[in-house]
Amino acid sequence: MPESDSNEFYVGYHPTAPLGVARRTRSFVIAALLCTVGLALVLAKGFGPLPRATFEFGSLRTFEGTISTTPYPALHVPRPGVIDGAPWTSRYHIVAPFKFGADAAVAEFDGKHVRLKGTLVHRDGRTMIELVPESLEEIPGLALSPEGPQSLGEHSLIGEIVDSKCFLGVMNPGNLKPHRACAVRCISGGIPPVLCVRDTDGRAEYFLLVGENGEPMNKAVLDYVALPLEITGEVERLGDQLILRASAESFRIL
Amino acid sequence: MSHAYRAVGWNRQKKVYDRILTLGVILFLGLFMGVGALLRPNATAETLMIRGFGAAAFLLLHVILSIGPLCRLDPRFLPLLYNRRHMGVTMFILAALHGLLSLIQFHGFGDVHPLVSLFTASDSYGSLAWFPFQPLGFGALVILFLMAATSHDFWLANLGAPVWKALHMSVYFAYALLIGHVSLGVLQAETSPWLALPVALGLAWVLGLHLVAAGTEARLDRDVEGVEFEGLVDVCAVHDIKDKRARIVCLDGERVAIFRYDGKISAVSNACQHQNGPLGEGRVIDGCITCPWHGYQYEPHNGSSPPPFTEKVPTFDVRIRQGRVLVNPDANAPGTEVSPALIDFADKGAPDA
Ligand code: HEM
Ligand code: FES
Repeated sequence: MPESDSNEFYVGYHPTAPLGVARRTRSFVIAALLCTVGLALVLAKGFGPLPRATFEFGSLRTFEGTISTTPYPALHVPRPGVIDGAPWTSRYHIVAPFKFGADAAVAEFDGKHVRLKGTLVHRDGRTMIELVPESLEEIPGLALSPEGPQSLGEHSLIGEIVDSKCFLGVMNPGNLKPHRACAVRCISGGIPPVLCVRDTDGRAEYFLLVGENGEPMNKAVLDYVALPLEITGEVERLGDQLILRASAESFRIL
Repeated sequence: MSHAYRAVGWNRQKKVYDRILTLGVILFLGLFMGVGALLRPNATAETLMIRGFGAAAFLLLHVILSIGPLCRLDPRFLPLLYNRRHMGVTMFILAALHGLLSLIQFHGFGDVHPLVSLFTASDSYGSLAWFPFQPLGFGALVILFLMAATSHDFWLANLGAPVWKALHMSVYFAYALLIGHVSLGVLQAETSPWLALPVALGLAWVLGLHLVAAGTEARLDRDVEGVEFEGLVDVCAVHDIKDKRARIVCLDGERVAIFRYDGKISAVSNACQHQNGPLGEGRVIDGCITCPWHGYQYEPHNGSSPPPFTEKVPTFDVRIRQGRVLVNPDANAPGTEVSPALIDFADKGAPDA
């Protein structure tokens, strides 16, 4: 029978607690605070490392180059100090603020030489610009004629579809299941989907995903985002960008 | 109404309670976010805050769920229970910050409404491994909101005890949802045992404590097998009950608290009208049965709170015969006056002649 065996009795609205009760409570509070400290440290340590992926939030830069709108909006700028055989332009993805692609914003500027302002997002040498849409203007100067795609043959690649914007640095971490819903939202809003493939050392390579005819494939990949996948298709090099041309029918969930 | 008088305001114990609670929350958030930022310089503030608030709320929920069974097992933990409401509200605020930031970060500023996105962006409802974990968190947050919003005694009085109690029992459902939220969410991506292990231990702790406490409760719910005498059941000897204290027995499935005070014996229902606190673990103070949980008081001979309060609990007819306490298992209506059984000299020790 739970009768309290000591004669002490705690009443909350009395100014002080009886001695034994106060002692017990004090030891509990001290133990609980120690556990709090321990758990805060253990949990802080428990989360995995985060990659170097950067969103230069709050710092705007000005860029000049040539716009291409297919398969996804990009800005081409000449690479300094080009060696023979290497791509001679850099291709920066262009996206709109928030979870939207920049297709509408750049539509009228295809092939034109422009100046624009934006915020850089970069990871592992891949660069993206979050455009300030109003800043886009055509300027005099010679437009670059973008390099044509160069086929690297058919390949089966194993990886994870991520939205390029978050993955390159707007969010960190920007992949795997906890980020799935966000990646779906971004890709659905027009952010280019990429297949992220890791080699055995964990280094990642990114393949911009396009349909069989080179068309953007935002809606078609939504059901596959973040899942472990094998995709078979033709790999192409476009400037310094790798592209994977495949039909969603070739996607195999592992 | 009576509950208006019951509001004892921010008394000293509550202030101490709140101060320690605040200290704990600040300590956790500061360490978790500070050390997190040091260990992972690439982490953004949003990530640290989302994780910090989520983890703090989840941890606090474990503390809250432990208080009930701890107090069942040892009444010296009762000071933790006294102001549990503030802990609950604090936990809700942390959870709401986590949920709101997540909603903005992961679903805001896109091509559909964030609340639609929450349920549709990731829609593998048929798969366990890919089951969308965020709607589970949302479900839990709704429950925690309803609990926090109705936690004041004003709502207990206005919703009625059964509705209020059912609502507050759903914290266990919220906890189950959150176990799903965490194990189908962050634990699918983070592989360190230093996350999975604490979650598993936390679950084992909560389940274990409840099982042990339930064992104690079950023993209480076994009907006394006393001899019947003229419709009354022999429940115990007078000297089994300590002065100003009670013995709890189960009669026809109902717990009855039998108090001994001032040379008298009275019996009332064990369930406090406030939040079902165990009156039989209370004590007679200033002539009134005082509930061990929040100190509501009842007069032993009529089960009524002294004026101006209006709470009433059922009473039971009692008699003393040959040093044994006999109780009528049929409860009287709440607040019914019953003459206490008088303990005479002989009843205290040996059976009378
Ligand atoms: C609208 C409601 C909610 C949403 C949208 C939501 C969303 C999320 C997301 C996206 C994560 C993964 C974060 C990451 O990987 O960094 C997460 C983790 C977590 N959530 Fe929630 N959540 C909600 C409600 C809750 C509630 C009510 C609680 C607990 C009281 C909670 C506790 C946690 C915990 C403990 C984690 C894992 C560790 C952490 O990131 O803090 N969540 N939640
Ligand atoms: S349950 Fe709150 S005073 Fe009895």
